[in-house]
Amino acid sequence: MKKSFWKKDGTIGYLFILPGILGFLFFVAYPLLSSVYFSMTKWSGFDTPKYIGLANFKYMFMTDPTFWPGLKATILYALISVPLGLVLGLLLAMLLNKNLAGIKIFRTLFYLPVVLPIVATSTLWLFVYEPQFGLANNVLKLFGLNPVEWLTDSRTALMSLIVIALWGVGSNMIIFLGGLQSVPNDVYEAAEIDGAGKFRSFFNVTIPLITPTLFLQLITGMIGAFQTFVQPSILTKDGGPDFSTMLLNFSIYKNAFQGQDFGYAIAQVWVLFVLIILFTIIAFKSSSSFVYYENDSK
Amino acid sequence: MAGNNVTVNMRNKSKVGPIIRFIFLLVLSVSMIYPVLWMITIALESSGSMFKVPPEWFPHEFHWSNFIEGAKKVEFVHVFLNSLAISVIVTAGQVVSSLFIGYGISRIPFPGRKLWFYLFIGSMMLPSIVSLIPVFYVFAKVGLFNTWWPILIPAFFGNPFFVFLCRQFYSSIPYSYDEAAKIDGANHLQIMMRVIVPMSIPLVVTMIILSFQGSWNEYLTPLVYLQDQKLWPLSVAVASFSGAYGTTWNHFMAVNLLYMLPLLILFFVAQKYFMQGLGSLNNSGLK
Repeated sequence: MKKSFWKKDGTIGYLFILPGILGFLFFVAYPLLSSVYFSMTKWSGFDTPKYIGLANFKYMFMTDPTFWPGLKATILYALISVPLGLVLGLLLAMLLNKNLAGIKIFRTLFYLPVVLPIVATSTLWLFVYEPQFGLANNVLKLFGLNPVEWLTDSRTALMSLIVIALWGVGSNMIIFLGGLQSVPNDVYEAAEIDGAGKFRSFFNVTIPLITPTLFLQLITGMIGAFQTFVQPSILTKDGGPDFSTMLLNFSIYKNAFQGQDFGYAIAQVWVLFVLIILFTIIAFKSSSSFVYYENDSK
Repeated sequence: MAGNNVTVNMRNKSKVGPIIRFIFLLVLSVSMIYPVLWMITIALESSGSMFKVPPEWFPHEFHWSNFIEGAKKVEFVHVFLNSLAISVIVTAGQVVSSLFIGYGISRIPFPGRKLWFYLFIGSMMLPSIVSLIPVFYVFAKVGLFNTWWPILIPAFFGNPFFVFLCRQFYSSIPYSYDEAAKIDGANHLQIMMRVIVPMSIPLVVTMIILSFQGSWNEYLTPLVYLQDQKLWPLSVAVASFSGAYGTTWNHFMAVNLLYMLPLLILFFVAQKYFMQGLGSLNNSGLK
């Protein structure tokens, strides 16, 4: 009996995935469930959490001067950087999906910023944006333009972070390249025989066929963008100026580990989580109108 | 590799199109990569000539000693070894545990495996900050604050994305291999180690590279757990050096370049694996 128990696929199967199950319980289920309670406590992280009802949420929505500007910055950051990255990534992929001298080198160059550690690139951009001797203003001077206070002006700070995000457009490009290369050649030939020009075949053949790739990147890109942490923590440090770069994920870190206000930080985590879920639901609901799946038509 | 659909579009075009495209790409790629060139330029300059007007656009002097002096300021060798140790252990843990989970979920038929697969995949959508604070609470409670353990331990519980990659890759291996091995008397552990994994070397290499890269880049977790500077990995040390009072630009850029270097080397040696991980997000993958 005992022997057959250990030989059964059911037992062996669960043994193989046991690390995953334990990981799921400890790193997903426990944090999710416990943070419902933690979000309603006053808790410094090292003392015992004290139940205070919805006071954290009340403070967040009614009093905290950083919350609404931060939420606005988070949404703006995601809504601008992700679609722009998708468009630029697709354009680059189309330019590179050709037989051209040095095409591999171009592909490598565009992808290179993605490979570099995010701390290394963020600190590099800190110096690029330095107003007096930084590269950004050097370039502006070269064209006879006035220098800009990139990170210390509330009108440009968030945009400066978005530029860094777009610097990583290479990852979108690579994924689109895969998508473009999976479009079979005969589809284009058929379109050409039907008299479709370059633009027609782009909008009526290429775009519909890569919408699944586009959609997947939109979802993963937005989820990632909502969680941006390193750039504000290294470049604008206090989420300034005027909280214009107080991205939620950074604000959570700040409140928990610098402000020792863990209960409040977890309440903010829930806002971020709901934001991500809301966005994902909207994206999936609307996807049927623009995502084309080949099998549907059969 | 590229351009099977080019022939159609370009058949009737003159030679002007490709040339314009080439020039456009050249300008674009150089301006994309220029910040890195600028960084190298500064890393090689003397402390005085950095702030010259007009600025220097390309390296023209070569103060290699900047690398040594910068390295001294952050105790580079020590921090580098910290990073290396952490990354190697995390990589080993993630790859091995994910291979097991991936095998179990795609090659062993047992009730509930679909459910667990979707739970693993679903957990990728969860923002990592959700688990950060409650998990921090537990690690701190058992006295592991200010140690490497909170960074190392989670690696041994599998990586959902890798499990997904495994399942995708394994699905291309016919079941007849498993069955043949089973007839020869092999159990699941042996089938996995002797049959499936040896056939999945590209998968293993992809996971090793992605995992090493991820752990080399990781900033938030060590920032939260490690107070003692002696324990810091490079990411935290570099970030702290960038904001420190009196950090000179040339020394900082030199250190930052040294921090990037292992990944750059890895990238140029194994470029296709970097892109394969991303390509798998596509139904077809990068051909």
